[in-house]
Amino acid sequence: MTVSGHRYELDSRSVQTALEGVLPEPIHEHFVVINGRRWPPKQVLALVTGLDRADFTTHQARRALTRLGFPAARALRSREHYMRAVQATGPSGPAAGGTGGTPRTLVEALRPFIGLWVAVRGDEVLVAASSPKEVVAWLAQHGQRAQSMFRVPDSDQAIAGAAPQ
Amino acid sequence: MRFSFRALPAASGGELTPRPVVGIAVEGLLAAPMECLLDTGALRTRMSAELAPLAGIELDGAATEEFFVAGLKTAGALARVNLTVTDGTEEFSWDAPVWFCDPWPHPFGLAGLEGFLHHFIVTIRAYDGYLDIEPQP
Repeated sequence: MTVSGHRYELDSRSVQTALEGVLPEPIHEHFVVINGRRWPPKQVLALVTGLDRADFTTHQARRALTRLGFPAARALRSREHYMRAVQATGPSGPAAGGTGGTPRTLVEALRPFIGLWVAVRGDEVLVAASSPKEVVAWLAQHGQRAQSMFRVPDSDQAIAGAAPQ
Repeated sequence: MRFSFRALPAASGGELTPRPVVGIAVEGLLAAPMECLLDTGALRTRMSAELAPLAGIELDGAATEEFFVAGLKTAGALARVNLTVTDGTEEFSWDAPVWFCDPWPHPFGLAGLEGFLHHFIVTIRAYDGYLDIEPQP
């Protein structure tokens, strides 16, 4: 594929490999889904090509990555996410089984991160990492504020057996 | 302030039953409130000791106690810290004792009587999947 006048041999596997060990930057509007996580298209294309981000637009990056088979979409504004989560508390029936106020989409967004620490805002996973230190560092680096931080439990026992004995 | 119960994916597929949680920010970590499980049966408020150095909280020389959580023996170190809760529109801060525990196997902190429940009027609406907290006047 050609990006900004340069020719690159890219495939989905090489892109996935290049992103291993890298944390996604905040999503402002557009994102692509790679390795089960949301990524800003420009971050990904800059990483795999070595080009400066000023050398191409978000739409060019998005188009290049969708051509490689990665799904792309546009995020709702963060504020809308936040308020929707806080206000989603109507009399919708018993919470057990996930039919209560919490948006179901967050459960699915959290699924790839079982066992990891996450920072969330509304139904958006801002960052996932292996330690709270990395999560806090990422939030500080990108000037983000989370609604909360926790580790996605890797077993039912992890929260069922909480009470001190 | 209103907080939705936290629904979580189950490792075995499906979902775990949503739990009553509140995001509590420790001083110095306002950007990353620790999600705490509301624990009406617990005396203490406990969090992972990993958070203390991130917030610049010194635990050397602190009072400690050993206890069991989820069947695991652990040790907690006491610090009196400033805590904050917010729902995005309102914010409330208070000083409270928090036990920072190592090891800490739990994915959340635990918000117990000391440190949390004594400071709020808490209404749990489990059927609807949310809880309301109002600071004690």
